[in-house]
Amino acid sequence: MKDFFVLLIFNSIFYFLFLIFSLIGIPFFALIVAFQSPFISHRNAMKKFRRAISWYGLGVCKILPFPFVRVYFKDFDTSINQGPFIFICNHRSASDPFLMAYLPYEVIQVVNIWPFKIPVLGFAAKCAGYLSVREMSFEDFANKTIKLLNSGVSIAAFPEGTRSADGSVGQFHSAIFRVAINSGYPIVPVCITGNENIPARGTLLLRPGVIKIHKLKSIIYDEYKDFSPYKLKNRIRQIVIDEIKIMEGQSDV
Amino acid sequence: MTEQDIIELTNQVFEESFEIEKELLKPEMNIFQDLGLDSLDVVDLVVALQEKFGIKIRNDERLKTIRSLGDIYNFILALKEENLSLNALHKQE
Repeated sequence: MKDFFVLLIFNSIFYFLFLIFSLIGIPFFALIVAFQSPFISHRNAMKKFRRAISWYGLGVCKILPFPFVRVYFKDFDTSINQGPFIFICNHRSASDPFLMAYLPYEVIQVVNIWPFKIPVLGFAAKCAGYLSVREMSFEDFANKTIKLLNSGVSIAAFPEGTRSADGSVGQFHSAIFRVAINSGYPIVPVCITGNENIPARGTLLLRPGVIKIHKLKSIIYDEYKDFSPYKLKNRIRQIVIDEIKIMEGQSDV
Repeated sequence: MTEQDIIELTNQVFEESFEIEKELLKPEMNIFQDLGLDSLDVVDLVVALQEKFGIKIRNDERLKTIRSLGDIYNFILALKEENLSLNALHKQE
């Protein structure tokens, strides 16, 4: 009974704040960028717009669910490489795209069709240049992704293609790895645990918990240039699986 | 070419092109769920099979029904038999 009331209070507060924050925050950030855009280049305007999306994302996953949900981000990459990067993430929950806000780079995401259908958020994602991978040919996807990388934008992808039903890491799709091989940008595995019930697949109910995000060491082109796309995707998948095992075996952060 | 030859050559393609361990190459293995291939990998697979067997399979509708490694063995076997029949027919003409 106590758990029910905790869930009720948490979800009521979160979704109320989420609605208010989205109704005020999104137009506010959009207006700031819109007012600046006549005086700056298109590239800089997009950079600011994407940064604004990151602020919004940080607000949604850091401030709104506090203290019911806590997020711990650890960066294990000690290289001096400033990017852009190709971030490869496991995918357990609808909160994963919001958690990408923790990556301290200008990032666009490779997403499925449904996120574009979310009112307001989908429109903002489209405007920011997010890529709906299922709605384009591989050639189109590769060209757009490489163009973004060449202009300094990092890419975050969830190569499982769909949220894991049981917490295991599903098979990876190779499209983003083919782009990596063709473009030569570093790959960075990002492992997320603890958010499988925030919210669980098929529901919007959020449960309290601790989310851990580990940004692993970047894998530079020299390390994978001789790999086939199949071998590369499975190598990265294994790195993600191994790290998740470590993360879930830890008793504390 | 016997059925066993086809199995061995197909397995060679998986070992050479995808570096999949021999122990995993069993007829019942689903090439998507168990071996982790996706639609783009299948394109690579088709190219490698064409080279290995010297046949054209790229636009064959039956490719869409392939799920397991056993399906691939049967598909190649059927193609080889069709080619043999066609060649025999041409010779008769």
